Amino acid sequence: METALDTLVPGPLSLAGHRLGTPQQAGALTMVPISGPAHPGFAPPRTGLKLSRVVGYGQVELSNAAGSGVAIVPLHIGYIQDAAQNHALCRSAFLAPGQRLLFEDACCVQAGQGGYLTERDQWFFVLPAELRDAALRLRGVHGYSKLWADIADLNVRYGLARRGHLEQILSRKRPVLTQFQSRLELQPGQVGALFFVAGRFAGLEIAPDPVYFAEMWTALVCFAYGVAAWHAEPDPPADGAAPYDARSLPELRGALERDRSARLAEVAGWLAEAPAGPVDLQEEDRYVDLRLSTVTAPHLAGQIVTDGDRTVYASLFAR
Amino acid sequence: MDTPTLLAHLETHDTALTLPRGGTLCWDDADLHRAAHAADPEGYALLGLAPGVRPWQRARVLMQVLAASQAGLDDATRAVLARVAHVLTLALPPAHVITVLLGLRRLRANHKHTTRTVLRFVLEHPDADALIAARRPALLDCFEHALGKASARGCARRIADGDTASDYLRRRLLRFLTAPAAAPARVRALYAPAPPGATAPREPALAVDALRERPATVTATNRGDIAATLVHLYRGGPAEELYVALGRYLDAAALAYPRFEGTVALVLDASASMRGYGEREWAVLSQAAALRMLLGEICDRLEVVEVGGDERAPRGATDLATGVLDALAAGPDLVAVVSDGYENLFPGDLARVVATLPRAGVTTPVVFCHAMFTGSDDLRLRRPAPALPQRGFWHQDDFAELLPWMFGHCAAGAPWLRSALHTRLDALDRRAAELTAEFAAAPR
Repeated sequence: METALDTLVPGPLSLAGHRLGTPQQAGALTMVPISGPAHPGFAPPRTGLKLSRVVGYGQVELSNAAGSGVAIVPLHIGYIQDAAQNHALCRSAFLAPGQRLLFEDACCVQAGQGGYLTERDQWFFVLPAELRDAALRLRGVHGYSKLWADIADLNVRYGLARRGHLEQILSRKRPVLTQFQSRLELQPGQVGALFFVAGRFAGLEIAPDPVYFAEMWTALVCFAYGVAAWHAEPDPPADGAAPYDARSLPELRGALERDRSARLAEVAGWLAEAPAGPVDLQEEDRYVDLRLSTVTAPHLAGQIVTDGDRTVYASLFAR
Repeated sequence: MDTPTLLAHLETHDTALTLPRGGTLCWDDADLHRAAHAADPEGYALLGLAPGVRPWQRARVLMQVLAASQAGLDDATRAVLARVAHVLTLALPPAHVITVLLGLRRLRANHKHTTRTVLRFVLEHPDADALIAARRPALLDCFEHALGKASARGCARRIADGDTASDYLRRRLLRFLTAPAAAPARVRALYAPAPPGATAPREPALAVDALRERPATVTATNRGDIAATLVHLYRGGPAEELYVALGRYLDAAALAYPRFEGTVALVLDASASMRGYGEREWAVLSQAAALRMLLGEICDRLEVVEVGGDERAPRGATDLATGVLDALAAGPDLVAVVSDGYENLFPGDLARVVATLPRAGVTTPVVFCHAMFTGSDDLRLRRPAPALPQRGFWHQDDFAELLPWMFGHCAAGAPWLRSALHTRLDALDRRAAELTAEFAAAPR
């Protein structure tokens, strides 16, 4: 499957040394773990990166509280807090140790809710995949309500009230969404993952090291990709499980192994069938030798961080 | 009916027995109880004492034991049935027992063992005075049914005349009792006008099931001593002190159970989700590990197949299907899968493997023990093989119900279950005897 992974994002994204693991499935969501080289020296997003304050609606300040290590702000990270206007960011960025950075192009994701986020009770999410393309296009655009129409449309598609409240999904459906962090299980040494929803490529996530990825795990599986998977959750088979054609335990083992091989091939087929092609690359930020770039193509978009020809971070989603 | 199915019925079907005025007894599962009693009277009666059996099911067991003839049963079996019946009259809410006794009257069931149990309830129950005051007509009916109306009234007349130990009284009434000195006063009360406004005691005199710890907020460490100690060990607490305590708690827990003379193969889910996260970290895995340790103490042979990582380093994904196949290779009497139910490495495989086992010639029972954080976990997305018998557990106290359910699925578990229930009967019988002794010693 490595060949297929390389063809998915040709050119700027070198995934040399990264390997795909055995797929895991939870309902409609398939996660293919990626292991690979760890790049030391990066502050992890939960323990290193902090929301300092919300200056005004649509203006969010983050700080890198880690003693050392540059922080790569995860693409489309957002913060939820009771009785405060929840915000998400439209882009990634670098924060040096001890640095604060004001994102003036953040978006409110909860129409009509007053109050500013503060440093207390921080838990973060990543925007659902369904909103990420719109959010990426709105990077650099000021206007706290700029994503409300897209959120309202998403709510309607999911049978919820037409409101610019992402909270209708993230908080009210939280008990079922958060189960994805247990339904799928992080592998030791995992630095990334491929996500498929109902058999279609949904996203590729690469982190600098396993600690960084582990801190992104919940936000990615529960919110970035879990929302679409929740909506596509298949019904359990009505007729119960079909037995294998096996007359002994050895035959049963053989049948199970053949069936698994077939399913692995099926997932590889999903990846091979994912749209591919050339991508546009636009540099957005740099820190020493690190480059943050926006990737756009007809089939996918997102942002990547490279160090020379090595990919350090990637958050790419299907369009 | 097999033991697990019967046990599941006894633990879930709590519909009341009712006696419509002038109608017949409403006993919706009478055929099931009659069949189970006919197949194994002693085993059936003992099963009524199993932890977690619903009160109205215990009432049905009492009804069946008292309604059925004991012809053909040996003395040892009769003695067990008598002890179970007596314990149940004390362990059920008195109103349930009165319904049973009136039902027996409606069924015209009147054997010697019936008479003895009815009289001991009416005249020797620790709350007999209050019950007679509040339910006099019903208890009088029970008394006269037990002795026969003429004998009952003959006894009452003699007692009213001051007789306390005549041959007539001894033969017809006192020989059935263990505290005959208390009987005359109660018989007089049965035939006297009831005092107005008396209320009947509602609670059983004897608690069959131990009171459960019910914390308002479930944490990783208020789920029983074994699991709490393991959580501290996993967190890196002082190993020496904690291992000493762990051994103590484990010994105490194991003492409550007989030995299982067979082999259990345990498929232990040690994947990342079993470790949990945040405030719940280690909670689920520690209880699963507690179960493993307890089984290690009481089973002649325990084979553990860990899935994912291992108990001290849970990691990775969950492949339960391969775990079950590996467990079966050990030739066990029983395979028990202990998991939170998140099967993510080839989900659906466990269900397909389980569905194939019969045609693959495998008859070894496989059960699914659901490791939960609380008793109210949402399991809708956590049933990887719905066809498997399954039962949840989250607290050490749950083992008292979980183990009989598990062992009840295999032939090697039958003697274990009977032995465990005999031990339970012995303990309950001792406490019942203490109650009777206190009752007999109480001033009149």
